Order: sequence, then structure tokens, then C-alpha cells
Amino acid sequence: MLLAVLFSNSEGNILIERFHGVPSEERLHWRSFLVKLGADNLKGAKNEELFVASHKSVYIVYTILGDVCIYVVGKDEYDELALAEVIFAITSAVKDVCSKPPTERIFLDKYGRICLCLDEIVWKGMLENTDKDRVKRLIRLKPPTDV
Amino acid sequence: MAQPLVKKDDDRDDEAEYSPFLGIEKGAVLQEARVFHDPQLDARRCSQVITKLLYLLNQGETFTKVEATEVFFAVTKLFQSKDTGLRRMVYLIIKELSPSNDEVIIVTSSLMKDMNSKTDMYRANAIRVLCRITDGTLLTQIERYLKQAIVDKNPVVASAALVSGVHLLQTNPEIVKRWSNEVQEAVQSRAALVQFHALALLHQIRQNDRLAVSKLVTSLTKGSVRSPLAQCLLIRYTSQVIRETSNAQSGERPFFDYLESCLRHKAEMVIFEAARAITELSGVTNRELTPAITVLQLFLSSSKPVLRFAAVRTLNKVAMTHPLAVTNCNIDMESLISDQNRSIATLAITTLLKTGNESSVDRLMKQITNFMSDIADEFKIVVVEAIRSLCLKFPLKYRSLMNFLSNILREEGGFEYKKAIVDSIVILIRDIPDAKESGLFHLCEFIEDCEFTYLSTQILHFLGNEGPKTSDPSKYIRYIYNRVILENATVRAAAVSTLAKFGALVESLKPRIFVLLRRCLFDIDDEVRDRATLYLNTLDGNGSIGETDDNVKEFLFGPLDVPLVNLETSLQNYEPSEQPFDISLVPKEVKSQPLAEKKAPGKKPAGLGAPTSNPTSTVDTYEKLLSAIPEFSSFGKLFKSSAPVELTEAETEYAVNAVKHIFDGHVVFQYSCTNTIPEQLLENVTVFVDASDAEEFSEAVSKPLRSLAYDSPGNTFVAFEKPAGVPAVGKFSNLLKFIVKEVDPSTGEADDEGVEDEYQLEDIEIVSADYMLKVGVSNFRNAWESMDPDSERVDEYGLGARESLAEAVSAVINLLGMQPCEETDVVPNNSRSHTCLLSGVFIGNVKVLVRLSFGIDGPKQVAMKLAVRSDDPEISDAIHDIVANG
Repeated sequence: MLLAVLFSNSEGNILIERFHGVPSEERLHWRSFLVKLGADNLKGAKNEELFVASHKSVYIVYTILGDVCIYVVGKDEYDELALAEVIFAITSAVKDVCSKPPTERIFLDKYGRICLCLDEIVWKGMLENTDKDRVKRLIRLKPPTDV
Repeated sequence: MAQPLVKKDDDRDDEAEYSPFLGIEKGAVLQEARVFHDPQLDARRCSQVITKLLYLLNQGETFTKVEATEVFFAVTKLFQSKDTGLRRMVYLIIKELSPSNDEVIIVTSSLMKDMNSKTDMYRANAIRVLCRITDGTLLTQIERYLKQAIVDKNPVVASAALVSGVHLLQTNPEIVKRWSNEVQEAVQSRAALVQFHALALLHQIRQNDRLAVSKLVTSLTKGSVRSPLAQCLLIRYTSQVIRETSNAQSGERPFFDYLESCLRHKAEMVIFEAARAITELSGVTNRELTPAITVLQLFLSSSKPVLRFAAVRTLNKVAMTHPLAVTNCNIDMESLISDQNRSIATLAITTLLKTGNESSVDRLMKQITNFMSDIADEFKIVVVEAIRSLCLKFPLKYRSLMNFLSNILREEGGFEYKKAIVDSIVILIRDIPDAKESGLFHLCEFIEDCEFTYLSTQILHFLGNEGPKTSDPSKYIRYIYNRVILENATVRAAAVSTLAKFGALVESLKPRIFVLLRRCLFDIDDEVRDRATLYLNTLDGNGSIGETDDNVKEFLFGPLDVPLVNLETSLQNYEPSEQPFDISLVPKEVKSQPLAEKKAPGKKPAGLGAPTSNPTSTVDTYEKLLSAIPEFSSFGKLFKSSAPVELTEAETEYAVNAVKHIFDGHVVFQYSCTNTIPEQLLENVTVFVDASDAEEFSEAVSKPLRSLAYDSPGNTFVAFEKPAGVPAVGKFSNLLKFIVKEVDPSTGEADDEGVEDEYQLEDIEIVSADYMLKVGVSNFRNAWESMDPDSERVDEYGLGARESLAEAVSAVINLLGMQPCEETDVVPNNSRSHTCLLSGVFIGNVKVLVRLSFGIDGPKQVAMKLAVRSDDPEISDAIHDIVANG
């Protein structure tokens, strides 16, 4: 299960979050844990450089893209490799929508589109689409090119 | 070319200052959402509003039921628009709003239409939305379309249906299981993702059928699964089959060839998955392990951090069971010590510490030293623990490892980290005799500059036990006495005890220890002085406390064989007297605190003014009050006390309220009376109770109140007998009777002669709810299901015309006197139906759970379905009787 996808700005404010199967009383804990993890490690990191961590049976892969930090948390079949796929799908879709690694402003400008992309990539805790061009077409309700 | 670049930079400055959602406010956005109702829809503007709604939801904003319903209804209007961008947004916002069951019906028809649309993408999205918001009943209606969709030639539609199937399997397994044939067909699909999703669903459908899973794996491992993701799944299912069959078979491991062939797959994830599966095989041989380790070794030098992490994590696990198999990778792993990613570096180090041989320890320690300075405490703790086990493995290397530990002990670090190091040193001292002297010395150095009181006292205690047995105990005295001079009271007291231990065990040091202990007699802290006095007397040999040397040692080093809690209570209950406190009378069994308090030996019951350790609850107070009255002592345990009921109007001459105390076979009314007239003294105050409307009750005892002076409340009691365990009900009318005497306000003296008088009070009623304790359950559903279904009694009731649903719900809750669970006592405004969950304990300690379903129709007629489960089916019936008669 893909437990969480979280976007924050560089100050640690949450921009988008999606939890699946995480009880609401634990969400605050996750939020602050992830933001702290980012604050400790993402400073000065290169765009899209992947960071990995694991805690008990849960895996976390995170990265920075422009001004936006992206975290994905998974367990069981969503181990670090699967999460790397997820985060790659997310970063490439975000870059595609924003046409470059986004500043916070650009990210918020394209907020609706990004929400749609995320909806295509992750659905209720499962990875659905990975290819950015496919996602790009899907959010416009156009069938993918391989059909 | 330069021009546009400059312009872009200018733009960037503006961007930083202004967010498109600056000052966004829920109320305003909800207002804006009215554009959804426009007859001429502006698709662009609607999309913007939806984006704002999404932003609000993502920021944790919540909509009230009314707001959510309003937005939801407005959004459904947008299905009229043909704009695809807007339609996509509508799908998303419906999923986010997740409408309640009674609202879903509004969009169902629109979504069903989209589900059969010619536009493939409408179909796919409509399926996803429907499955997100639908419940079982609707599912049967759309099942036909979903089955078709699974084998749709458009992979997006097929995937949408398959993934929906995975989710729906949790809630409606029997329906999804019927799709087996279609899913099987989808597994053969040419589209990678469809294959992946279909395989996942098929496995979930069959997961409880071992034979079916085995067949599935057998057929698929032969064929060609194109999608790497599906391949990974297949590897997992294969290892599951291997695990389950390997016990039955011997010789060649089934499917191993398949796993090995996956090591040559072109996708890294498949290679890794296969390698990990092989390393996790039970009883894996070295021959089987080698190819897997080889690919993992290649991953160690991959440019992708995720691959490096995955590889080193797997190797770390292998190192626990097959350290020799991993040694080949040591060189690659050593280079990972300097990896940017600290998780990778720590894993590499701990793996190396597990696989390293005696000769490489020194080199390894040198590398780790550099690494330790720039990792976080939690990683350091892992390393310290690994070093501890390495040291125990190679005891000859204790010198360099102990040095390493003492070095890191001196560096900055938090409590947990320091504690891990101290614990490690203590373990090494205990297990490696040669390491003892140097270890103790390192600990002495550490407490010279230790900021953690807990660690200092622990080390001092340890030092007191181990130090005197070393070759030169005198060298530790300086460190210990420094604590007495420099530290806080807790550490000073611990240091005094340690000194005493040295004095007791090392005869030659005794005179010098005495000098030091005498100095402690002038300490500013009581505890330190007391300990010094105690030890001086004990060690002196003339004191009365320890007569022999053995006694002294037993006293100093022996364990305290009474629980601390009991000792504390006994000491608190001890009153200074001729008789000294006797520790042998302290109870040794561990009891709950209140009991220990009562049973404190050699001690008469605490007086009324004695302070109690815990603030007592009202029930406890009542229980104490009643048990102090001899007439009531035979009534047994108090089951419940009601809240006080006022029996007089406010601001009357006499204020009386009553508390109903329920026992198994008795009911006691406690009348608390207050005299508000300064010129009167009331004497012989009683309440005359007429129980003619309470047939099952007969008066047992009446306890009058001797006198009731102005403004000092007093209690009078009347007890009734009733059939034991029966929830008897009835009405009692009350008449206050007393003798009134005039009081001279100037002297405060009362006349000798008094006049009999009486005062009418309100009635008291004993109702069914009085026999029910409000006891909540944390998870109603679990509690309900754990109760015997045979005890369930269900019936339906018409509650007649009611003001509102909420009023009806609260009336039933009050009638039963039970605890509402999961906030189901709150009825949302304007709802037409409601379910309320109650729990409680009925007299006789019978657990009762109640599920109430209410419905209200047009003319406010309320109907209710009542389902009861309890430990005793008769009580379930009794609850129905209460409702039927209420």
C-alpha cells in the first residue's frame, strides 16, 4: 500500500497531501516526521536526487524539485524501488505541467493540473500510471497514444 | 535572445511575493461556487473554483455537512457542460468530496451515462468515481458494465475497472469474485499496466486457495509476462508458493530456475526482486545464494541511490544468517561508508561490522571514526550496537573497540545515544574480564563531565559494585568524591552510597572513606546527610543497624525485597511513635495502590482528615460514606449512585436534594438538607417516604439527622429493600419532618423547646436507567461482534410524533441511561435517518450493547429499530421491556 504522498514547500508547509490507510490521528505525526526528514537532508540537494529511509516496515523515498519537496511513503509491495517509480512518475509529471522544476508560485499556479496528475498516478493507495505523456493525455481526457 | 531572459527573471521576482491562493477563505470560495448554477456555464471559471476547493481540502479545511452537500449538489450541475477539462475536474472533486450514501444517488445516473459513453476516457473516469463512492446495492446494478470494462480494448478503461475491483474486493468480495473469468482474460492483455493490475486482482481473488495460486504461478512462469511490475508480483507469488510447498518436497527446489532466470531480466526492479526472493528462501544454500549476491554486488556501485540502498539493505539481512556469503562485497561496501545518503552508509557499516574478520577490525574502526561525526544520533546508536556485538565476537580486539566507545562517549550526543554507549561498555566489562579496568576508567572519566543525572547515578551504582573488586580500588575514590563536591543532590546521594560500598568491601580504605563520609554530614541536602549518617553508623560496627559484617554487606548490596510502592505507602501511614518503623511488616506482594493503603500493617485506619494519595471520584466518596454507616454495611457492593436530584425549588427555606444509591437488593436515598434560616435550628430531621406507588419496595431503615444548623448541610438516609437483581421501578413521595427551635441571632443559642413541623418535597422516581451504568467501549463494532449473536433481540417501535429526530434519539438514550459510543448521540441537522450506538453495564454486571436505527417521515412520525446484545439474553429482553414500557 502506498501510505502517503506529500508535497511541501521549502519551509515545510504542506501543499498537497494524500493519505491512504493512515488513521487520521497518525497523520499529524507523519506530516511532521516527513517535514523534519526533509529539513534535515534536503538542504542543498540537487533536483530530483532521491533520498531513502526506512522505519520499521515502512519505506520513504523523497526528493526536492525546484522549491517543492516531495515525499512518498509505502509499505509491503511498495518498497523503496516501487516508491522510486512512484516519485519518478510524480516528478516528471510535475515538471511537465510546470515546464521546469517549479517555484512555489508556479506550483500553486498549476495546482489544479497537479492534483489531476496525482489523481492519475496514485489511486487510493495504488500506483496506476507511470508515464508522463500518458498522464498528460489522461488529465485532458484524451486516450493514451498506445490505444 | 537576452531580452526574454531578463523578462523572465522579472517575472520570477513577482512570483515570489504573490501566491495565487493568497488570502483564500472558505466562505468566499463557497460563494464563488455559485457559478456552478449559472445557466451559461463558464468552464474556465468553474475549473478555477474547483481548484480552489481542492486547495482548501488539501490544506486540511473541512466542510460541514451542509456545506459539503451544497457544493456537491452544485458540482453535479457541471455534468451539463461538454468541456472535457472541466469534466475531468468534476470527476476529481466528486472523489474528494466523497458524498454520503443518500447523496450519491444524485450523480449515479450521470456517471452511469458516462460509463456507457462513446468517449473512452469518460468511461474510465466514471468507473473510478463510481467505485469510489458506491455501496453494495449500487454495485450489483453496475456489475455488468464493470465486467465488460475489464475486457475493454482500451487499457485505461480496463485498468480502471481492475483497480476498482481490487478496492471493491475489500468491501464486496462475493461480487468481485464473480469476475474471475474476465480478470483471467485481462492477465493475457498486451498492455503492461492492465496485465499488472489484473494479476494483482486475480491473486487477491484466489489468495485463500493454495492450489489455485500454485496453478496460477505455474502457468504464468512458463508464459511471458511482459510488464516488469507484473513480473515482480509474480516473483512474490512464486516465493510464497515455494515457502508453502518446500516442506512437502525434498531435492530440487521448485521454481528456482524461474527465479534465477529473472536475475537476467532487463528491468532492474525484476532483478532485485528475484535476488531478494532468493536470499529469503528458507534453508537457502550457498550455491543458490551466489548468483543473487553477485547481482546485489553490482547494484552496490549503481549510480541510483535507491538501488544502492535496496542492495545494501538486503545484504545486511543476508549477513545475519550467511555472513560468509557477503564477504565478497566488503570492498564495495566500504566505499559506501562515505555515501552521501546516511541511511546507506549506516547500513553499509553495520553490514561490514557483521561480516568483517578480526584482521579488518582496526581498519574498519578508523573509517567509522570519520563517519560518526556527521550522522544523526539514531544512526549512531545502530553503529554502537553493532560494535558491541563485534566486540563480543572478537574479545581480543576489545582494546581498540573500547577506545572507540570511550572516544565517542566524550563527543556531543543526546541521552539515548550516550545511554547506548554506556550500556555497551557495561556489557563489555561484564563479559570480557580483561576489559574491566579500562572500561571502569572510561566510565569514571565520563561522569566527570556528564550532563545526565540518570546516567551518572547508574554508573556510580555500577562502580560501587565492580570498583572494590579491582586491583587498585583507591584510584576510583577521587572520581566518586568529586561527584559529592560538584554535582546535584541526586548524584551526590548516589556517590555517598558508592563510597560506602568501597568502605564495606575494602578494609584498607575504610578509615579514609570515613573521613569523606563525615564531610558529607554537612551537605545541604537531607537525603545526602541521611545517607552519610546511616552508612557511618552501619560501617562503624558499633551501631545497632548492622550487627555483623555480613549484615552490613547484605544491607548495602542486597536487593530491596519489598515493592517500592508498598514501602512508600507504609511509610506514609506510619505515625511517629515509640514503636519504630518495621520494614519486615511491609507487604511484599504487588497490589493495586488503594488496597495496599487499606492493608497497611501495624496501623489503625486512617482518620477522616488523613490525606489520600489520589483524588477520589464521587462514586468512591459515596461508597465510603455509605460503608461507614453500620445499617447499610450488609447491603453489599454499591452498583450505582445517581446525580443529585433537587427536591425543592431554588431559594426556599430548606434546600433538599437526593441521591439514589442502587445496591443489588436495596436502594438508599440520601437526602442532603440545608437550612437557610439563621433564626432556626432543626433537630431530628427525617424524610417520611410514601412508597405506595412503588409496590416492590419496602422500607428497611431510616436514619435521621440529629441536628441541622443554619448553612451547614447534613444528610439523612432512607433505605428500601427490593427483590435482588430485579430492575424494579416506582415513585416515592417525600415529606421532610423535623423539630424546629428558635435561635437567638445575637447569642446563637437555641431555645430548649421546639415545635414539630413538616415540609413537602418533590417526588423521587426509580427508573430503569438507574440500573444501568454508563460504560463506553472503544470500538463498538468489535465489541458487538464479539458478543454472542444468540443473545441478540431485535424489534421495531413507533415513537409517535416527535419534535425532531435529535429529540427522539436523546429521549431513548435517557430512557436507557446508556453511554453513547462514537459520538452517535449527535444527529446531523435535517437528517431523515440516524443510527445510534450505546453501551452500558446492567445491574448484576451484565454488559449490554444497543444499536438503534431511527427514521423520521413527513409528519414527524419517528420509527425505531432496536437491536440489543448482552452477556445474558434475558437482559436483552429486559432492555426491550424498558423501551416498550417507556
